[in-house]
Amino acid sequence: MMDCAHYRRQMLADPKNAGEQLREHALGCPDCNQFTERLLRFESRLERALRVTAPAGARVRALRPAALRTGGLALAASVLLAVVVAGALWLAVPHPSLAADVVTHMADEPQAWRSTDVAVPPPDLNLVLRDSHLRLTGGAGVVSYAASCRFRGNRVPHLVVQTGAGPITVMVLVHESVRQPVQFAEAGYRGVIVPVAGHGSMAVLGRGPSTDIGAVQRIAARVLDSITWIP
Amino acid sequence: MRVLGNELAVFPVILTVTPSYSVSFGIRQGGFLKPGADLYMNDQIGVNSTRARFQALCQSLRPDLLRFAFWLSRDLALAEDVVQDSMLRAWKARESLLNEAAAKPWFLTIIRREYARSFERKRFTIVDVDELIASEEPMLAAAGEQDLADLRAAMFKLPDEYREPLVLQVLMGLSTAEIARELGLSGAAVLTRLFRARKQLRALCGEDTSLDPEE
Repeated sequence: MMDCAHYRRQMLADPKNAGEQLREHALGCPDCNQFTERLLRFESRLERALRVTAPAGARVRALRPAALRTGGLALAASVLLAVVVAGALWLAVPHPSLAADVVTHMADEPQAWRSTDVAVPPPDLNLVLRDSHLRLTGGAGVVSYAASCRFRGNRVPHLVVQTGAGPITVMVLVHESVRQPVQFAEAGYRGVIVPVAGHGSMAVLGRGPSTDIGAVQRIAARVLDSITWIP
Repeated sequence: MRVLGNELAVFPVILTVTPSYSVSFGIRQGGFLKPGADLYMNDQIGVNSTRARFQALCQSLRPDLLRFAFWLSRDLALAEDVVQDSMLRAWKARESLLNEAAAKPWFLTIIRREYARSFERKRFTIVDVDELIASEEPMLAAAGEQDLADLRAAMFKLPDEYREPLVLQVLMGLSTAEIARELGLSGAAVLTRLFRARKQLRALCGEDTSLDPEE
């Protein structure tokens, strides 16, 4: 029988990979359950904290090598010029957006877009959703594809829901926050990214320029209604 | 720092001035290479597909790699230099990347070595952590994320040996075995460091640690 200290030590080391034994312990131990809830809340903040974005303004060099400061004037001038040019170009270049990263990910899994009426078995679907602490009720529709994908450093559920308008992809992005719904049309995909209160955001998209954005939005609302968040 | 070398065309931030490349290319494509861009580039500007694919790979991984280098060095400017130099080194060593799916750990290894090399090459001044936090404040308290600033400042205070495995696990999504391989440690040693990292971080952030286990 696992003791509480062992459980908490394991959870502090790797909170997202609790094995069967650990989960069983937490279910039967209110203190460890409470500990886990606090830890997962902290973990969610930590994930967001680590995803820093570079500011567009001037940067401060706090820990620069002394060698650069004492180098020859010509070298310093050429380095400075290169840095200024590169910096200016870097600031001028639009950085990859969340939508762009989602679309890039689509290109990696073309097999997901198959039209079919065969649903993923519920145990397999639950396994994919478990790491993101959610479940889907039947209202979401036929989920024909479910994979736990690495996206921006995290595991996220990548689902495909079959609709009258064709397959629609849903990615539940608990680590990515958006302030308001965003529509995008990128590289042949059309979709939306909608905020999910307290749980990051959700990207929903269809393939092809004729994708009905209204249908995409309806699927987004339907899937959102079907989500049950679990500890 | 080398600039304007032909091979540097693989990076989004540095453009070549050779006639076969258009300066507007990098800006038009931005930091994101659209699917099908290989073909476009082959047709339009004669870049071979290996280079285009490598460029796309760099562009897709760059944000996370830059974040990793930032948390490693705690200095955005140094992180950008390290990532830039690492990508150049990666391009030269591209033959050793046998599987694109393994690109992230491959890049991480290069970045860690490049960061270590920057210490070998150069003499660093010692900076107080509080000064460091103040100097990187814009990075730590990015727009709309003030509530996370304390946590980021606490990350700065974590010893390197705890901060690095934590970033590899939480930000880069590496498993314990992958972190162990990357850092040359046993799995048990990695888990101990991760345990201590979170324990210290939670205490630094003023979290309720009454239920935390003792060492």
